[in-house]
Amino acid sequence: MVSERLALRAFLLLIVVMLATAAWQWRGAAPVSANLLELLPDEMPSLVEQQAVTRIEEPLNRELLVLVGHANRDLALKLADTLQAQWAQQPIFDKVQWRFQPDLDTVRKQLLDGRLAYLPPADAAQLILDPHDFIQARASELQNPFGASSPVAAQDDWLGLSGRILKGLINPTRMQTDLGTGALVSEYDGKYWTLLRGHTRVNAFDLQVPAQAAELVRQARSQVAAGQGELLATGGMLYAAAASDQATREMSLMGSIATAGSLFLLLGSFRRWRAVMVMIPVAAGILSGVVVCVTIFGKIHVLTLVLGMSLTGVTIDYAMHYLSKSFTLRPWNVRRALALVLPGLTLSMLTSSLGYLTLAWAPFPALRQIATFSIASLAGAYLCAVCLLPPLLKGFKPAPHSHLLDVARFLVRSQRKIRRLRSYSSLALLLVLGLGGIVMLHVQDDLRQWVAPSRALQEEARQVSAITGYQPTSQFFLVTGATENEVLRRQAALSARLERARSAGGLQGYRSVDQLVSPVERQQALAAMLTTLPADALAPLAALGVSDASLRQEIDRLGALPPVTPSQALAGPLGEAWRPLWMQTPDGFAGLTSLQGRVGSADLAALGKDLPGVELVDRLGSLSELFSATRQTASWLMGAACLVMGALLGLHFGLRDGFNILAVPVTSIVLTLGVLGYIGQPLTLFVLFGLILVLTIGVDYAIFMFESISGRSTTLAGVILDAGTTLLSFGLLALSDTPAVRSFGLAVGLGITFCFLLSPWTGQHHARRATATVPARPKTL
Amino acid sequence: MTTTRQATPTRRRALIALGLACLMGGASSSLPAYALDLDQLAAQLSSVPLVHGKFVQEKHLRGLPKPLLSEGRFVLARASGLLWLMETPVKQDYRIVPTGIEQRTPDGWKAIRQQAGLAQQSRMFTAVLQGDRTALERDFTLSLGKPATGWQLDLVPKSAMLKQIFTGITITGAQYVERIEMNETQGDRTVVRMMGNSTSQPLSPQEKDDLGL
Repeated sequence: MVSERLALRAFLLLIVVMLATAAWQWRGAAPVSANLLELLPDEMPSLVEQQAVTRIEEPLNRELLVLVGHANRDLALKLADTLQAQWAQQPIFDKVQWRFQPDLDTVRKQLLDGRLAYLPPADAAQLILDPHDFIQARASELQNPFGASSPVAAQDDWLGLSGRILKGLINPTRMQTDLGTGALVSEYDGKYWTLLRGHTRVNAFDLQVPAQAAELVRQARSQVAAGQGELLATGGMLYAAAASDQATREMSLMGSIATAGSLFLLLGSFRRWRAVMVMIPVAAGILSGVVVCVTIFGKIHVLTLVLGMSLTGVTIDYAMHYLSKSFTLRPWNVRRALALVLPGLTLSMLTSSLGYLTLAWAPFPALRQIATFSIASLAGAYLCAVCLLPPLLKGFKPAPHSHLLDVARFLVRSQRKIRRLRSYSSLALLLVLGLGGIVMLHVQDDLRQWVAPSRALQEEARQVSAITGYQPTSQFFLVTGATENEVLRRQAALSARLERARSAGGLQGYRSVDQLVSPVERQQALAAMLTTLPADALAPLAALGVSDASLRQEIDRLGALPPVTPSQALAGPLGEAWRPLWMQTPDGFAGLTSLQGRVGSADLAALGKDLPGVELVDRLGSLSELFSATRQTASWLMGAACLVMGALLGLHFGLRDGFNILAVPVTSIVLTLGVLGYIGQPLTLFVLFGLILVLTIGVDYAIFMFESISGRSTTLAGVILDAGTTLLSFGLLALSDTPAVRSFGLAVGLGITFCFLLSPWTGQHHARRATATVPARPKTL
Repeated sequence: MTTTRQATPTRRRALIALGLACLMGGASSSLPAYALDLDQLAAQLSSVPLVHGKFVQEKHLRGLPKPLLSEGRFVLARASGLLWLMETPVKQDYRIVPTGIEQRTPDGWKAIRQQAGLAQQSRMFTAVLQGDRTALERDFTLSLGKPATGWQLDLVPKSAMLKQIFTGITITGAQYVERIEMNETQGDRTVVRMMGNSTSQPLSPQEKDDLGL
């Protein structure tokens, strides 16, 4: 057989190419990602918004926040000092910040040059409305032994504006600077906590960095505990590490159970070691799935791998199909068996791929990846089963276990009973039962259906935010404008509203560049006002002994200060905290107003309403909407798929049989939804995706049973093996801790079980053709 | 989280001086073994548990021809704290107690602005009051000199941040602290002169109350 040899050679070449590609792809760090954020939709309405989201998520992705606590302040600082020195040596960090030593000369200069620009609005208002009071307050401040002071010498700033500026720069956190060490310290619950920030070298969400970070945290925790201290840590990478740990655990558990179970079924059924060869297509499938995924996406997500493991149950079926022909086909011959099942095999591969293709259409990168992985994996396994396996199995004599056939015969008998139950009324009963549960279904459309972050990590993050007083949210306002000053004016308008919301409660705080620097108009108004300052307003300073000449000079200096732009303000040390919140865009500039504390998306949207250039970016909020929209579309899609399949089946098998075949997966889907409703599981997007798969697999079973190519009991034996392996692998997913995976596994597991139980309802193609004597029963389907 | 803002020190020239005065006057019982001279100094100062006196504080600001003067009385109680009762140019009472630096208001004692830097300073003084010299030695290098009469203690800041605020602090005295001079990096200077006139006068009920006793 030339074509067979050709196919074999072509396939072997393909395998070599894939192995080489895989070797190259995995040469350095494993291209595996555990970043939970990568699961989220990556499509943004605009480039600017995408940039802004990247800015906001940067600390989440690359920062490890660690608090070292001790009842003794000095010991806390000492423990942190030791830890900082150790971590600074770690290659995964490019910096580990602990002490902050700003250059006061630069601070001084920035303060002096920007005294009008940085003066908080309230102080500016006091100066304009009541200059006498303002200057009287300054005079007593200079007199007061405990009066406020600033790094700026009194004679450089007689009006004391720099002191007001420093006072006005709100500290949104509870952290205070330790003057001796420059460390940030917070006192909380009887302990002193000092903050360390580790910044990773690259945004490397491969498996290594999070795992290394988690390990460093673990070591540091025990080290600090040994010094009677306590350590708290939080950061996106710790969540990633936990997620990948969990995925690895589940992957190896489910993978090995599925493999062991399948092997057991396999060896038990065919009683020959060579039957193990049907695992080869499984391996080929995983290989091609991984290679294609990494080629297209650059890396593969752990969630893809977990779900990919479940494909084992499908890919193993390909070879199983023709092995199970050995129950009837005696003597079994690989070539003949293959010829018999090839059309069904091809159809099955195509329908399953089609099912997964519907996932690829959803706007979620993770689903697209899962679909790609699955389709590549199915194709690889199929090609292997068709090209490589037959030559390997040449001369293989399976010894099919008669017990399986006995089981099948028994099932056939019981199935006859099931079939006898086949009537419109029992169908209606089942549908009513299903619908009863469907009514009880509740919908869940938020992020919780993707992931369930570890409780311990969440608790720790909560403690960290309580101690530091820092609670970032993913929601923020994006304010755009043509010029820097326009953005600043627009942000100021937004800030006025946010300030009101803050005093009303809910919003803890916010940060935007207009808190640092005023719009040019305000700076100019202040300068103009100062040049017309009433002469007697300066009297309290003159009374202290400040000469009229130096006061005059001071006023002239202030009046002549050039306006400060946001870019200039941000370049200096005072602007450090605001720097990530300002960016240049193709059309001008954009400022981000970041928020602290949880506020409802609708309330926030209302706050930004009607303000020009102001837009709320709420990834989690829009995610829920997206989930909901996708879920609805998926429902329609499933309905459409049913109709298309019904039409195709009708064309091929006739309207009545086509309907019978379709009734199996459709009823199963209704029942699955019903069961989910009864047991209180939510209806999520992933349930729907699972059901789409059930539809394609269920139709497979039904066709298989309906056609009953080689006798009903052998066909059933094949279906048992099929369903057994599929159930093993998909059903195991229901045990996963990841809600998305669990949801998917539960839907597929239940759906397949119902399909298996109901598949006899398709009637029997052969039987009916062969024995025309079977009377038509008008009341049955 | 920001760094710059919190890092910007809020100076309290007089506070540091007063805190040091507390150290010298009141916090010796638990001083650890140090250079012999410092130990002797500590012992000498601790022999005076309670001082009543007058103070004159001069703030020498570079732009002013004359120093800004404030005057008043002080009560230094070794174990409990310091009362700083300013009489001119305005009447205002302050105290340094273990909980921090407080100011008398019509509603009672109130902590002065609990903002960046200040909590830290009051913590330092509290440590000083409790005789925790390690805290001071972490931030300053201490050296003891012997002028013609009495003694002189020089404090030089260790950390880069403190160096940007003070060039040094000098404390002189004999039986107790008599003069504290702080030189700021900016060129401004504060001198506090403390003239004790009684080491035997007991605390009045009002003073006891003010010190939280």
